[in-house]
Order: sequence, then C-alpha cells, then structure tokens
Amino acid sequence: MKFKTSYLVAAVVAAIMIAFPTFLGAYPLNVARSVMTYMALAITWDMLLRSGQISFGIAGLFGLGSYASILAVLRGGMDPLLSIVFATVFSGAMAYALGFAILRLRAMYFSITTLALMEIFRIVIHNMHDFSGGPEGVVLPTVIFGGNASALYWLCLGGLFITIGASWFFEKSKMHLALTAIRNDETSARSNGVNIFKYLLITFVVTSAMQGMMGAIQVQSYGFTAPDTAFDANFTLLPLAIALLGGIHSTVGPMAGAVLLGVAAEWLKLKIPYGHLIVYGIIIILVILFMPQGIVGMIRRAGRAAGRAGKQTGANHE
Amino acid sequence: MKKALAVIAIFALAVPAFAQSGDTIKLGGTWPLADITGKQGSMAAQLAVEEINAAGGVLGKKLELIVIDDELKADKGAAAFEKLITVDNVDVLVGGMASGVALGQVPVLKKYGKVYVTTGAAASSTVEKAIGADSDWYFHLHPWDYNQGASYAQGWDEIQKKYPSIKIKKIFLAYEEGAFGKSSFDQTKVLFGADKRYVIDGAPFKSAAQGGGDYGAVLEAAKTFKPDLFLWAGWDADALPMLEQAKAMKFNPGIYLGAPPGWPIGFGTSKLSDNVMFYGMWAPSINEISPASKKFYTGFVKKYKEEPATYFAPLSYSAIYIIADAIKLAGTVETNALIKALEATKYASPLGQTITFTPANIIKHQGIKNQKILQWQNGRQEVIWPFESATAKPVYPFPKWK
Amino acid sequence: MAKKRNATILVAVITVAAVVILFWRPTVLIYGLQAAGLYASIAIPMGLILGIVHIVNLAHGEFMMLAAYATFMVCQAFGLDPFVAMVPVALVTAAFGFMIYKLTIRQALKSPELNQLILTFGISIAITQLINLSFTSQTRKMSFDYVSASVDIGELSFGIYNFVFVVIAILMVIGLRLYLTKTISGKAALAVGQNPKGASIVGIDVDKTYGFVFALASGMIGMMGALFITRSSIFPGVGGPFTMKSFCLIAMAGVGNIPGILGASVLLGISENFLKAFRGTRGWADIVFFVLIITVILGRSIKGKKA
Repeated sequence: MKFKTSYLVAAVVAAIMIAFPTFLGAYPLNVARSVMTYMALAITWDMLLRSGQISFGIAGLFGLGSYASILAVLRGGMDPLLSIVFATVFSGAMAYALGFAILRLRAMYFSITTLALMEIFRIVIHNMHDFSGGPEGVVLPTVIFGGNASALYWLCLGGLFITIGASWFFEKSKMHLALTAIRNDETSARSNGVNIFKYLLITFVVTSAMQGMMGAIQVQSYGFTAPDTAFDANFTLLPLAIALLGGIHSTVGPMAGAVLLGVAAEWLKLKIPYGHLIVYGIIIILVILFMPQGIVGMIRRAGRAAGRAGKQTGANHE
Repeated sequence: MKKALAVIAIFALAVPAFAQSGDTIKLGGTWPLADITGKQGSMAAQLAVEEINAAGGVLGKKLELIVIDDELKADKGAAAFEKLITVDNVDVLVGGMASGVALGQVPVLKKYGKVYVTTGAAASSTVEKAIGADSDWYFHLHPWDYNQGASYAQGWDEIQKKYPSIKIKKIFLAYEEGAFGKSSFDQTKVLFGADKRYVIDGAPFKSAAQGGGDYGAVLEAAKTFKPDLFLWAGWDADALPMLEQAKAMKFNPGIYLGAPPGWPIGFGTSKLSDNVMFYGMWAPSINEISPASKKFYTGFVKKYKEEPATYFAPLSYSAIYIIADAIKLAGTVETNALIKALEATKYASPLGQTITFTPANIIKHQGIKNQKILQWQNGRQEVIWPFESATAKPVYPFPKWK
Repeated sequence: MAKKRNATILVAVITVAAVVILFWRPTVLIYGLQAAGLYASIAIPMGLILGIVHIVNLAHGEFMMLAAYATFMVCQAFGLDPFVAMVPVALVTAAFGFMIYKLTIRQALKSPELNQLILTFGISIAITQLINLSFTSQTRKMSFDYVSASVDIGELSFGIYNFVFVVIAILMVIGLRLYLTKTISGKAALAVGQNPKGASIVGIDVDKTYGFVFALASGMIGMMGALFITRSSIFPGVGGPFTMKSFCLIAMAGVGNIPGILGASVLLGISENFLKAFRGTRGWADIVFFVLIITVILGRSIKGKKA
C-alpha cells in the first residue's frame, strides 16, 4: 500500500514537472534549470555519501563532462546530443580508472584527494591552450536545440530524472544494504562478506558519470565553457550544502534542499540587489544550527511527534 | 520546531521591492553587484537615469532602470536577462562586465534580439565570435582586446616620435594566468611583435586575486630579459606588492607599466607609485579637459559620497545617455528604429572622447576603440596619450630605486 | 636499523639536492622557502583546530581576512605598524573566534562532521559578503619601506622580508610543541584531541578545552592576518584560497602532525618555485601542489596497508 502511494505521488510530481513549459515563462524555466542542475549534483553526491565517503570532487567531474562534451563537438564534430552520452561515459571511465587508486582512502584523505584531482583536471585544461582553448575557454557555434527554452528545460529534466532514478534504484536494491553496512561498520561488513571495494567502485563510477552528464548538459545549453566556469568551486560546495539542508542519506532530501536554496537565492537577489549573499550565508548557518537533520529529517520528526500526540497529524507538513 | 519555523520566517522578510510599471521607458541592466566595477557601474547608470529624468525625461516619459545582479556567473546572468525581457518587459538592455558572464547571456540575447548597449566583455576570441556578424542589435562600448592592443601600439609609436629620448625595443609582459592576462599577452605578441620593431617576451604569474601573489619568479625572468618596457597585466591586488618586490630585487626597467582595471585605495599615496605608467580609459584628471567628465564626477561624488574607482562607472553612465539620446532621436523604442538611431550616436562622453559606433573585426557596432596611456605623477593619474586629451607630459625614465 | 639507514639516505639526498639547486638556481630555494613560510604559518592554526577540535574550519581564511581588515583600520587610524597592531588584533580575533565557537560550532559538535563543515562554509560566506558590503571589493594596501628590504650577493638581488614568515612558522611550531607537552592545559588539549570521551572520563572539561583551542588558533591566525597586510593587498575574497591550501597541507602532513605541516610547506614551496624557474614548466607550477598531495596520501595508505 505504502509503496503504491509513494509511486503515485512521484508520478504526479514528475508529470507536473514535465508540463512546466506549458504554463511557465522562459525566466522560471531558466531558474529551474539551475535548480535542477544543483539538485542532480546534490543527489549524486549523497549517493556516494551513503557509503560514508565524502567527495569534494563534484566540480571536477562536472567540469570534465563539460569539456568532454564541448570538445567532442568542436574537435571531433560529434552530434551535440551524442556528445552528452559521450561525456557521461568518459566521466564514468575516468572515475573507474581513478577509483582503483583512491577508493582505498577513507574520511578526510579521500575528500582531499578528490579535491586535488579536480584541481589537476582544471590546471591541465587551463594549460592545453590549443586543444582546450586555455583560460579564455571555448565557444560552440550554436546552442543545442537552437536555444529553445522548453527543449533546454526538458533536456535538463531528463538528466535529473536519470539521476533520481538511479538514486531510487540504489535506495531500493541491495546496493542500499551494502552501502549502509560499509558506512556503519566497515570491518563487520567486510567480515560478513560484503565486497566493499566493488560496491564503492560501482557507486563512484555511476555518480561520477552523472556528474559529467550534468556538466555536458550545462555546456550544451549555454554554448560555451571556460576553466573558471566549468570547475567553479560552487559546484562542489553548494551541492553539499543543499544535501545537508534537505537531509542526507535520501533522495528527497537533496531535492528539497535544492528547491529551498535555489529559490531562496534567486528571490533574495531580486529583493536585496546589494548584499543578498550575506543573508544566503546566514540561512545556511541557521538551518544547520536549528535543523541539523535537514528539512526532511525535521518533517519526519515532526510527523513522529504528531503521531505520538495523536490528533494533529500532518498539520506541520509544508 | 518553533525555532525551525522562525528560520523559515526569514524568507518572509519584508524587503522593499522595485518600483514597478507606470508610464515609463524601461531599461534593464545586469552587472556584478558584489564587485566594485559592477556596483559602481550600476550606481553611475542610476545617476544618469536620475539626471535625465530631472531634465524632463525622454519622449515625455521617465526612464526606469531595473538592475539585477549577475553574480559573475554565466547562468545567473542569462536568467537575469530572461527575467528582464520576459517578466519586466524592458525596452532596452544595458550593462555587463565579465566576458564569462557575457558568453552565458549570448544565447538569450540572440533569442530575443533586443537592443543591448553593453559596457563589458573584451574577449574577442570568444564573445565577439559568439555574438557574430549578424547581431545588429548588439552595441559594444568596451574596446575588444585587439582594439586595446592596436591602440597601445599606436600610442607608443607616437610617444617615441614626440619624445625622442624615449626608446623602446624590448618589451616584457608579466601576465596573470587567467583569461585576461593570457589574451593580453597574445594580443601584445601579435600587435607589437608583427614587423620585428619590438622584441617581446613574457611570463605568467598567479594573481593575488586568485590566491597567488608571489612575483619573485616572474620578476626574475623579466630582470634577466632586461626590457625597456615592463608591462604587467593583472588585477589591482597585484599593484603594490609587485612594485615592492621589484624594488627588493632592484629591477629597474625604463618604463614600468601596469594594466589593471582599477587601482587599490590609496595607491597614489605610496611613494612607490610615482611615475608608474598604466593603460586605462578614464581618470579623475580628465575632469580638466572634459565638461562631461566633470559633470559625471561631481554628480557621482555628491550622490554616493565616494569616488568612482574604475572606468566602468563613467562607461555605464555613458551607456544610459547614449540610449536616451537614441530613443529621443528615434521617437520610439521600436527595435529597428532604435538601431538606426544608435548608429547615428555622437556622444561627447565623460571618458574624454566622442563615442560613435563603427564596425569591429566581426561585429557591426563597436563604440570605443582606443585606450589611454596614463602615468601616476605626485599621486595623480595624468593622461599622457592621446596627446589631444593629455593632462601632463610623460616622466621618463622610471626612477632608480633608492 | 633499516629504517634508520633509509632516513639517513633521505636526508643526504635532500641535502645534496638543496645544495645543487642553491648553486644552480639560488632563487628557487630563496623564494621557495619564503612561500613555504607563508603557507605554513597560515596552515598551522587550522591544523591545530583540526587536530584537537576535529573541525575543518572552512572560514579559516576569512578569519585571517577579517583580522587583516581590522589591522588595516587600526594602523590607519592610529598610525601604528602592523607588527605592533598584531597584538591587540590577535586578542580581538581570539575573542571573536571564541564567540563564533560558543554561538555556532559548539551547538553543532554533536551533529555529524558534515554539518560542522557546512556550518563553517555558511560562516565564511556571511563574513566575506559582510566585508564586501561594508568595504566594497576594491583592494587596499598600505606600503611599508621595510617590505622591500633586500640583499645583494654578487649579481643577485633578492627581497629578504618574506623570511619573516619562515621565522613565524618555526616559532609557531616550537611554541605549540612547548604548550602541548609542557603545560597542563596543553596536555589536556592533546588528550582531548586524541580521545575526547576518555579525556572527559578522567575529568578534563572537553568543552572548555575546545573553546580555548579555538580561541588560541583564532588568535594565531589573527596575528597572521595582521602581518599579511604588510605583504599583500587585502580584499574580501583574499582569505578563501588559503583555506583550501591549508587544508591540503594538513592532509599531506597527516592530521595532528603540526611539524609535518612545516615540512610539507617546504616541499611544496620549493617544488613550485622550481617549476616556475623554467619557461616550459611555468604554467604548470600549480599542479605540483596537488600531484604531491595525492602522491603522499596514496603512498601513506599503501605503506599503512603493508605495515
């Protein structure tokens, strides 16, 4: 029963999201693309986090995907849509190769290594002037789908749906049990016969591929990239903040966090043109202090409390 | 739980919204508002709007400027234009600073083809290429990187002719490793190195603005090369520390020249600044030769109680006047009529020159093509070239360190 | 025995390399050490917090930036030299750090590490943007004659002022070592850093220790902020890049290994300047930092596996 209602809700939400371009203008669609990009990155980051591994390399794979896609089109004459697939595979393959070395690391040392790898990607791209365009970046002759706002939105939504789908699959399959076991107690997981490295590698490759895919979608939608744009540290830090604000170790948490932070950022900017980022920082501080479990955690707890109190069920659900 | 609700309540903060609608002509601008260039650029644009409205407005209507922060991010800049065009229904677009943001905005601009008088973007290899030859609604005030390079080459030729004691053969360029520095170096090599009149060398450095700030290696390379002219293309954060290190290393080129978009507060009060030359578009000393500059400067200082720190302030101010004049001439804000009127622009700008639009390498409507060569003399920024707007004679050579 | 012999060989190799570089490209060693001094003296306070409070303070660079602005204001208003102003500024920054600890970080100590990380990320944004709004992004720099102090050896002239940071880094390492091993509060801090639960069982006030260490580290970075303005321009974003650099250096040294930060800094400073000295490798100077970090971390993990 419970499963069926959640599927139904998901289907309705998905249908509404697909239908957005019929009743929303170009501006909300543009903002939605930003929100969805960060949402997808936050979800992929969370997927790896479910094993306890904290990656700081999101921007690196995002940037790698961006460049793989734009250079495939410019230097290889690839079809733009196909180049997104190529970038996805390329990022995944890169993660596969790197995973053998770095997935043996734990905690902070894993985080730092992913951060360092991101910087290495950036510096390499920066220095390969003739091939990558160097610091000035590269420009596509045209944007994918001729810049049609609805088409660009659906492209981004497609990327997001793939990410959400993967995340849900991971949550429902035995991947979930394995990753949770690794996170909670690696030693006992190992002694129980869980092939830790295999599960970590699969997760790392899948999430990296999707981060690259989002980078490719972004680059095809804006028609250009440069090292500072593609490897912007915000692509690493904001997804972390988003996932935490929404609630980690889940798919809905990062989704809620992305909507909250994305809409808040845009709204604040219009209301307070000078200095809106101060409020943005303060929101992050306050949410962490007063909602340490994130929005989803808070709602769950409120729901439990309400259940215990009896009558006022769901009154606080927003 | 209550605390948590209080957190959410922060979103409901009542903040004054922008004045909306009415019978106005709407201009929509994006600038990076957290950066001094965009902050003061948008403030100067607002000043121009108020001046024009005080003088009776345009076509019997008031001008209204709606400003959105582009946050120095391509996607934010693009979303801002989408909002200005589709939600606010502005008549003309204005503003801009960084090339990276401009690139993100190009697809939106092309989709709507709305008239855009831009104050930013110098990167020809990316932005000008992306805009393309057919975009006749695109009016670019800021010189492209090659315009700047050609202008400097001409400037140094004329200076050497007029002052025979100044002789330049070897040029060394210390350039910050980002897009700005790299394109400066590329343009310098092309425009100065062309007919072997000059010998060019250069080395990159990491700007203090990006967390660098070690100039030892790059100055060492420059010192070994023994240039007649030493040029650094970096940011204002590099200005004084690089001079201090040059002094420590006893690096003494004949001409010490910088090309940052602005200078640190109080740079002129440092002893080291004396006789440093630099490339720029505007300085307060232009007030002496241009009434428009004087009007802008006094108006800005009076309204905001601060000095315009970069040329983006007078440039954005000029953009508003150019748009207002064109709307008056066209008698409408309809795109084709407005483009025609803008093509006839002849605006005596606060930058000390009259702005007209002529074709550039790719685009049809390029505003300013030449830069100025200036020099710090006794704490003041003096123009030494072009000679018609010069406020002082060059001091040469750069004095030996004491 | 074998270990000792390995260490001797390593020291010999490093000495020979240093001597070779000294004669061949003396500036590599000079500028490399100067850069190392700066890296280390900024990273050490962060290493102290990470080692004992176990928090990655992403607002570390912003604390320094704040202290730099405070110094700038004080120096301009009273005509003080930063070397004098650093004392009051260090105290004020320590108080500020303590306040931040009490108001925010302490509340999040029970939460997962990630919460603390993002909390300090929020703090860094708020501080940077507050300074940006109050002082704009325009850079500021005071100029002092002694910064250009220079030495001539034959043809070679170079600045010596930046060696100040080498001295400070060494003093920090020695001072912290004395504090952590010789004083009661230092020993308590070390115990808390190694095992907070155990320390609280034997009667050490963990919260007080955390607060003190946070204040101490903030004071140290406040002092660095004061001296930072002698060498560099200041602007709201000036601290940010140093946070990441410091974090990397600490990881390279290994958490809790404060003298190791000095070693890591020297290795990085010299390698960076080595690449910068040659035309072909100039653009790649940045990469050496990250390649070395990965090499060291991976090397250590493989070694750990074998042992």
